[in-house]
Amino acid sequence: MLATRALHLIGKRALSTSVCLRGGHGVAKVEDYTLPAYFDRRENPLPDIKYVQDLSAEQKSLKEKEKGSWAALSNEEKIALYRISFKESFAEMNQGTGEWKSVVAGMLFFIGFTGLVVAWQRKYVYGDVPHTFDPEYKQKELQRMLDMRINPIEGFTAKWDYENNTWKK
Amino acid sequence: MAHPSQLGFQDAASPVMEELLHFHDHALMIVFLISTLVLYIIVAMVTAKVTNKYIIDSQEIEIVWTVLPAVILTLIALPSLRILYLMDEINDPHLTVKAMGHQWYWSYEYTDYENLGFDSYMIPTQDLSPGQFRLLETDHRMVVPMESPIRVLVSAEDVLHSWAVPALGVKMDGVPGRLNQTAFIASRPGVFYGQCSEICGANHSFMPIVVEAVPLEHFENWSSLMLEDA
Repeated sequence: MLATRALHLIGKRALSTSVCLRGGHGVAKVEDYTLPAYFDRRENPLPDIKYVQDLSAEQKSLKEKEKGSWAALSNEEKIALYRISFKESFAEMNQGTGEWKSVVAGMLFFIGFTGLVVAWQRKYVYGDVPHTFDPEYKQKELQRMLDMRINPIEGFTAKWDYENNTWKK
Repeated sequence: MAHPSQLGFQDAASPVMEELLHFHDHALMIVFLISTLVLYIIVAMVTAKVTNKYIIDSQEIEIVWTVLPAVILTLIALPSLRILYLMDEINDPHLTVKAMGHQWYWSYEYTDYENLGFDSYMIPTQDLSPGQFRLLETDHRMVVPMESPIRVLVSAEDVLHSWAVPALGVKMDGVPGRLNQTAFIASRPGVFYGQCSEICGANHSFMPIVVEAVPLEHFENWSSLMLEDA
C-alpha cells in the first residue's frame, strides 16, 4: 500500500497486490513483486485470480443467483459458474497432448534416413571387404578355432561337441 | 582370441584373469542392481499422479542414502584391493622374457641361459594361410612353458607401446628407456592373442602379440630350434 501511494504518479495498476484495487472477489494474496496470475495446475488447484475477470451481463446475473440457494441452480448454470472461475477442468488439464506421436515419428524418420545413408555409403563409398570374409575362409577359420581349443572353458569351443562333430544342444 | 561378435571376456588362461572375471561379475551385478533401482524410481516418479509440495528434510533417509553407498563401495573396494595385492605377490619366475616394442613389431629376448632374440611381425592379410586370423597372426610367437611363472620385462625402442594379452589378464606399457615388469602363469596350454595397446603411429593396429603356452619339453625343443636358426 505504501509503495502504491508513493508511486501513484505511475499508476496504480502497476502495483496492485491488494483486493480492493482489482475489484471484486476472487483475488488471492500473492507474494511481493508478483502480479496475480491465472494458471491451471493439478497440484495447485486454486489459482490467484478468477479466469474471467470482466463478466458479461448474463454472467453478472448468474453471480447474483449464486448468492441464493445452490440447489436452485441448474447443471448448465453450475458449469457456467465453474467456467467463470476456471479455464480448464481437471480432466482437460491432465489429458495428454499426443506429442509423443510426433516425437516417435520424427525419431523413426531420422533412423530410416540414417539407414539410407549407410546403405548408400556401403554401395558407393566403401571398397570390398578382405578375402578373409569369404564363406570358405570363414569355414576354415572356424575349424582352426575348434582345433586350437579357443576359449574351451565357457566360451567358444566349450559349446562344441567334439565326439559328434557338431554344436552342443 | 574372441569369437565374432563376442561381447564378454575371453576364458581365463591365468589365475589372475580368473580372479578378475569373478570380480567383474561381482561389480557388474552391483551396477545392474543400482541401475535397476534408479530406473524404477525414475519411472515411479514420472508416472505418479500426485505431487508432494511440502517435503522439507528428513534425517533418516539422508543417513540411509549416505551409509548404504559407502557400504556398497567398500564391498567393491575390498575384493578389488585383494586382487591388486595378489598381482604383486612374490612369484619367483622360472623364466624371464623381454618384450621390446618397435614401430611396428615386437621383439622378444630370452637371455636367461642363451642369447635368443627374434622379431615378431604381423602376417599381412594377403599372405595369410587359409584359416589364419586376420590382423592377429605373427610370423614368430612368444613361446613359454605352461604352468610356470613367467616374468615379462616390457620396454620400447622408439615410442610408447603396450604389451597386452587379454586371456592372460596382462597389459603393461612399453616406455622407451624404462623397464616395466609384469608376470603371469599360463594355467592351460594354448595360443593367446593380444594387440598393441598404446597408440604408436600408422601401424599401431597391426603389431599383434601371440603367446603360445606349451609343455616344458616342447618349449625346450622350440628354443633349441630357434637358437639353431638364428
